[in-house]
Amino acid sequence: METREQILTELKEVAPHLGRAGLCLIPFTVEAGYFEVFVENLMRRIHLEDAGLLNSEQSIGGISSTEEISGISPLLAGIQKKNPYRVPLGFFESLNVKIPFTETNPSKIISIPAFESDTKQAPVKRISIPMRLVQFAAAACFIALIGVAVLNTGKHQNTIDPIQGLTNVSDQDMANFLDSADIHWTPGIGSSPETASVDFNDNDIHELLSNVPDAELEQYSSALPVEKRFVN
Amino acid sequence: MAELTTDTELLALFRKPATKEKAFTGIVKKYQEKLYWHIRRMLVDHEDSNDVMQNVFIRVWNALESFREDAQLYTWLYRIATNECLTFIEQRKKKASISLNEMESGLSNKIRADNDFDANKLEWKLQLAIQQLPEKQRVVFSLRYYDEMPYDEMSKVLETSAGALKASYHHAAKKIEDFILNN
Repeated sequence: METREQILTELKEVAPHLGRAGLCLIPFTVEAGYFEVFVENLMRRIHLEDAGLLNSEQSIGGISSTEEISGISPLLAGIQKKNPYRVPLGFFESLNVKIPFTETNPSKIISIPAFESDTKQAPVKRISIPMRLVQFAAAACFIALIGVAVLNTGKHQNTIDPIQGLTNVSDQDMANFLDSADIHWTPGIGSSPETASVDFNDNDIHELLSNVPDAELEQYSSALPVEKRFVN
Repeated sequence: MAELTTDTELLALFRKPATKEKAFTGIVKKYQEKLYWHIRRMLVDHEDSNDVMQNVFIRVWNALESFREDAQLYTWLYRIATNECLTFIEQRKKKASISLNEMESGLSNKIRADNDFDANKLEWKLQLAIQQLPEKQRVVFSLRYYDEMPYDEMSKVLETSAGALKASYHHAAKKIEDFILNN
């Protein structure tokens, strides 16, 4: 340590008023004999901590809880620390504490009771499933679900639309079919598709053929057999 | 044993199981008063100081075996004590949800509540003035003024350069002088 003179000289230079009075002593006091018993209290606490009977939080001022309560209330210290409460028989044996998943506990534990009829308490078999496997299984289920949904949608779309199906049939085939089956359709009369027939009057025919040029009509007419050239 | 045995000898005895406890008792007896007053000046209250000092020596008991004699034992002890004090103050502030200013005024009130407190005496005024300083500056002033610790030793305790500590001490001394002159 530096000499008191050096400290005082420095102080006079920095804070003359403070240095003028010299170095003050500490005004606080401590109870007599404190330092004599301090080491004993400290060693007692260290022994208790080393024996696992005490940790830093349990001890106040280096005394155990028993010593502390003796000082506060000898009556309480004299009472036996007997627990008056009771639990159902076998409660602690059957107690199954669920441990939440943490980083340090990477696998989930699933309890499956074993089927042993002669045991009083159903023993528990523990199967450890790695979390990664559970994740894969969940992903597979999800993909399967999406696959089924897509297939179902496709199935509905593949249902043949009768109108769309006719687009692949040539006009000639269709005409041949109608001629051979002798199909006629009259609106409002025949509900049976096999016997449908259509009746046109002159006005309907004129209206239907109004957009067809005369030249085309003449060309069509000349191509027909003579007996079919005139209507009515 | 404590007064007659050097730190090196005490440390050698501590490493032998048969003499471990005896050596530790020697170390405690040798340094307890210095450390107690260092802690007390920081915390003011005796009960708090007693708790912190016990924690300091329990840390020493647990870590002394691995202590390498690169530093002097007393420097190492002061470092542990200072850190324990600062940790205690920090925890007290958090627990009570109070600011630094409130903590300082709380310490000043404790000083005024002391049975021996005399507002006219310089040593008490000095204590009140010290409590106005920031914590680190309070440590520097205390180590220099009361413990008369050289700056190079202090730099090992506080792990700060000697120049910075000197500047800090000068600032602290000026602030204390101003406080005493104005109060």
